[in-house]
Amino acid sequence: MIVAKNLHKNFGKIRAVDNLNFCINKGEIVALLGPNGAGKTTLMRLLTGYYQPSSGEVSVSGADVFIDREKALKNIGYVPENGFVYNEMSVYEFLHFMARIRNINEKSFVENLVFINKQLGLSEVINQKIEYLSKGFKRRVGIAGALIHSPRILILDEPTEGLDPNQKFEIRRFIKEYGQKNIVIVSTHIMEEVEAMANRVILINHGKLIRDTTPEELKKISSGNTMEDAFRIITAEE
Amino acid sequence: MLKSVYNIFLKDFTSYFRTNLAYFVLVIYALVSMVSAFYTGYYFEINNTNLFSFFYFQPEIFMMLAPLLTMKLWSDEQKSGTIELLLTQPLSYGAIVYGKFAAAWIFCILMLVLSLPLWIYTACLVQVDNLNILTDYFACILLSGAFCAVGCAVSSFNKNPIVAYILTVVALWGIKIINFDFILKSADISSELLIRISQSLNLDYHFETFTGGQIALNNIGYFTLIIIFSLWLNIVSIEYKKG
Repeated sequence: MIVAKNLHKNFGKIRAVDNLNFCINKGEIVALLGPNGAGKTTLMRLLTGYYQPSSGEVSVSGADVFIDREKALKNIGYVPENGFVYNEMSVYEFLHFMARIRNINEKSFVENLVFINKQLGLSEVINQKIEYLSKGFKRRVGIAGALIHSPRILILDEPTEGLDPNQKFEIRRFIKEYGQKNIVIVSTHIMEEVEAMANRVILINHGKLIRDTTPEELKKISSGNTMEDAFRIITAEE
Repeated sequence: MLKSVYNIFLKDFTSYFRTNLAYFVLVIYALVSMVSAFYTGYYFEINNTNLFSFFYFQPEIFMMLAPLLTMKLWSDEQKSGTIELLLTQPLSYGAIVYGKFAAAWIFCILMLVLSLPLWIYTACLVQVDNLNILTDYFACILLSGAFCAVGCAVSSFNKNPIVAYILTVVALWGIKIINFDFILKSADISSELLIRISQSLNLDYHFETFTGGQIALNNIGYFTLIIIFSLWLNIVSIEYKKG
């Protein structure tokens, strides 16, 4: 369970996140929606402890991300925007490093590696240097790094950005499957992605929570019953 | 904590070899050290029982090479965006900072190991003062540690590795020559306390007395304080990035 309480984040006079409150439970795949600059990435960085909130708190299974940082972050797998990874390493070296800093023993690492290779199709590039991989593979390596410790909470910032349709389909399929037993929070601009994966939508604009609902309910706002129209109507109102 | 430090150390230490920086620095160090010892240091002309020709130039050599090792530790992470990945792992900031520092420092010790054949070679030529040489190596290890710690701190404030390198060299040069002797001289002050304070700030003074075979607590304390202060500054700069 991940809980945000009265979460605020200011950058000087700019309020990037403004009094956000929500609770996400196991089995929920949450699409974090909002126009550019709405505060999605800032919110994800707050959830993962990268940013310190100006006020408020985030807790993961009862552990505060800022006070009990190490305990809280053990449960989280995070893929930042653009999925930065260590380009000078091979895929195997990167995943092994991620496993080591997560205190995963060799046996579990090998088991998880087999699972991840199967899910994300990394077998053919496992010994290649990351810098020579395509954007799609780099993205998948980033996701694999976040999954190596089988986190209960997976946070992905625009995970399908720059991927081809086949890769997008595979990633969505994987997220949907993974989210059945865990929590997945995905930031995206792509409405078809929300429909394909999410069972909950948190819509933010100017750092404020505008809607916290299901994709089906969100669609009902527009006369054409589409996510895109609903998104436009709601964000235009603000 | 120790395991986390080791994991970060391993990542950054091996990354020197992945990017060929290690080989470049090792070759340059070996060449410059030997050239400075044999030609500039008049190796065959002076009494080298304590390898004076070799150790005399070590501060300048480490001042130019240690920043090459530290410039990428934080600047590269910030420039490439991997810092977000690293700082969202269940690791304390201390563990990350110590691990990166250890990678640069151990590499410097590896550089010093390269010079051991010179010790053996000199021992074949003259009766060497082994204890004095050991003290000198200890001084170099502490000196390189202080330089690496300053380099790590400077690197954590910069996204650009080249800027980090230049600023580190400038900062180390400042530490090397700092004193206020000129004020004391121009004001004609002869207070022994002030003179000693002025000396105690100066890296050259501590290194020279150290390499003179004098293991004094104030010399060890001086380098240790630089390391502790710089690592603390490094942790503060990482905390600051959280906003």
